[in-house]
This record gives sequence, structure tokens and C-alpha cells, in this order.
Amino acid sequence: MKKIIKDLPHYLSLAGILAAGIIGFMVFSYERVFLIAVAIGLALAYVAWGIIHHAIHRDLYLSVVVEYIVVASLGLVVILSLIFQA
Amino acid sequence: MAKKLKVEKIIDRLVHLFLPWHTNNQKARLIHPQIIILFVIKLVVFQVILQFIPSSGLKILGYAANIAPDEVVRITNEKRVEAGLLPLEMNPTLAQAAQAKGADMLNNNYWAHVSPDGTQPWSFFINSGYSYRYAGENLARDFTNPVSAVDAWMASPTHKDNLLSANYREIGIAVIEGDLDGVDTTIIVQFFGTKYTDTVPSVPIAEGQPASTEAPQVSISPTPVPVAVTFPSPSPTSSLVAAETPVAEAGPVGGRVLISPFSTTKGVSLVVVGLLLNVLVFDGLITRRRRIARIGGRTFAHLSFLGMIMAIVLILKAGQVI
Repeated sequence: MKKIIKDLPHYLSLAGILAAGIIGFMVFSYERVFLIAVAIGLALAYVAWGIIHHAIHRDLYLSVVVEYIVVASLGLVVILSLIFQA
Repeated sequence: MAKKLKVEKIIDRLVHLFLPWHTNNQKARLIHPQIIILFVIKLVVFQVILQFIPSSGLKILGYAANIAPDEVVRITNEKRVEAGLLPLEMNPTLAQAAQAKGADMLNNNYWAHVSPDGTQPWSFFINSGYSYRYAGENLARDFTNPVSAVDAWMASPTHKDNLLSANYREIGIAVIEGDLDGVDTTIIVQFFGTKYTDTVPSVPIAEGQPASTEAPQVSISPTPVPVAVTFPSPSPTSSLVAAETPVAEAGPVGGRVLISPFSTTKGVSLVVVGLLLNVLVFDGLITRRRRIARIGGRTFAHLSFLGMIMAIVLILKAGQVI
């Protein structure tokens, strides 16, 4: 928890990205093109956030970048599957 | 003894998968990137299988809907009254035209306002004998109830404009079930109109002019004035159901148990994301308690991201409108 408070600006920006994603999905419900754009934007923003956060902390390694890409890919595949099946 | 060893082996395997341990480099195996990639690949394969089921001839996919046309009219009129507009009257000719449009989509396997051969929506108005002054069309598919379909139209500005247009006086609804791209689908066709005769001003006989018997201007070119035709611009064998009755019953349809591709995908997604969230929570708690230092992404960030994915999965609803 101390770590999170110390990095509050980082986590506030992450919260902003995630909140924008949820709001985007609520506002653009049934607008498929917008939903796809929001989903891709979210995944890219999450990877970018991870890279910047770890770069500032000087613990950015290839395995860390891969981890963020993999988690973002999972989220993207889950959302796109649902958008295309809706 | 052998049984005990087997149980121990299973427990070790579960610990290896779900908790940080010396066997998994102090990180639950399920949240290793290699395993998450496997989840991604399996989800993609699952989607490919869902896409191929219709072409394999297995008729198990579809949307079990319970939509009564009268309900669609009632909810539409509720929205109009709330907006200070007059309610629309149900017109059987418009309903017939809507049904013809729905049948055309299923027979020619398309999902659009204009058919692949270029037939415009208002051709169905004319062919059914509805001479219009104003005409409009809203389409919806794969909704499980009329409320969510009307809500989806209201959420789209172009469909909302149609639904809340003061130009329209009548409405016709068709709810049609059939195969579209091999998937059992329920389509709602909503036709709006105002008869030409309703808006032509009567000419006083005293002026010595004959009463107008002029046929309505019908044009398939974009919106001639004052004749207006509007539909929102974007984006097999059929069984037709009378506009007055609900079409597809929930549950088994025609002896077949239908599986909704959307609901199935949603269920699988919730299980996968839920599982990873739980493992991340336990992994985070244990590494913190044991003060394990490791190179990797932030558990809290992954938890937040997957939590948002979970929220989006819950927010997303089935159904399309055009």
C-alpha cells in the first residue's frame, strides 16, 4: 500500500485510463467501430503505462514488457471476442 | 502409500499452479506470461470453432429471443410520449412491409438497409401498398427482449432521430427468426411512416380545382422534399412469424437447444478473467507477506486492468442495430 501511495500519480493515471475505458464502453455501446477503437486504445495505453512506470523505477526489463503485452493481449482478445459475437 | 503419494502430487501441482512456490520461481504458474499466452491462444481457437460450427451443419448456435411486436410498439410509444410526441398507430400494411423486408434479409442472407441487389428499404413500403409522405427504418438483431432493442436504438443518435421524429404517424413491426450466416437469429424490423394522403392539404372545392388524386412521389434517390425517407446510415431459409405474435420462444427452438455464441463467449471470458484475478490476489498477498522480491509487472496494475476487463465483459450486451 505504501508503494501505491508513493506512486500515487502513476496509479491515478492508470485509474484514469481504466475509467476512460469503462466510460467509453458505456457511452459507445452498440457502436462497434468505436468499441473496437476503445479496446485497442486501452490495451496500448496499458502497455505504455507499464513501460513508463517501470522505466521511471529503473526496473524495466524485456520480461516485464512481455508481461504487460501478454496481459493486455488477453484483455484485448476477451473484449474483441465479445464485440464480434454481440 | 501409493494413493497418498498421488494425493500429494495433486496438491503439489495445484500449489504450483495457484500459489507462489519454489517450483514456479515464486510466482503462481497460471500468471506466468507463457500460460497467459496459452489462454489467449485457446480463446482465439474457441472463437474460430464458434465461427466454424454453422458451416459444419451443426445447428446449435443462436439467440433465443422472446420479443412481441406489440411490446416494441408500446415501448417505442412510451419513449415518444416521454419526449412530448404523439404515440404512433400500428399499421398492418406497414407491419406487412416490415415482414417482407425481414424475409428478404434472411432469404438473401444480408444484414443492411439496402439489399445486395440494390433494393432500397422504401421499395417494401410501396410494394405493400403503403403510399408514404415520410418513411423510416430501424433494424435490430440478436436482442433477447424488446426493452434492450429499443434502448439500443435510443442510444444511437440516428436511430433515436427516427424513433422520435414528429414526421411519423404510424408504425409497423416485424420480428422474424431465421438463419443469417448459419446462425439462428432474431431480427426486428421497425418501419415508420406517414401516409401521403394524411399530409396532402385538402383543396377547397370553391376554388374550382379537382381534388388531388396525384400519386405520391416515390423516389429511390436520397430524400426528395417533401417526400422523406430516412434510415440510419451506418454501419437461406427463413421462418416468418406473424407480426402480432412473439416469434422465438426462449429455450429450445424447433426441438433444438440453441447456444448463444455471445453468452457462451461471455461465460468463458468471465471464468478465465475471474480465475486470473483470484490467482493474482493470492499471489500478491503471499509475495507481500513473505517479502518476495521478483522482476515482473505490478500485481496491483494487472489486478486493476483485469478488473476493468471484467467490468467491460459485464457491461457488453448482445445485439446490433443499424
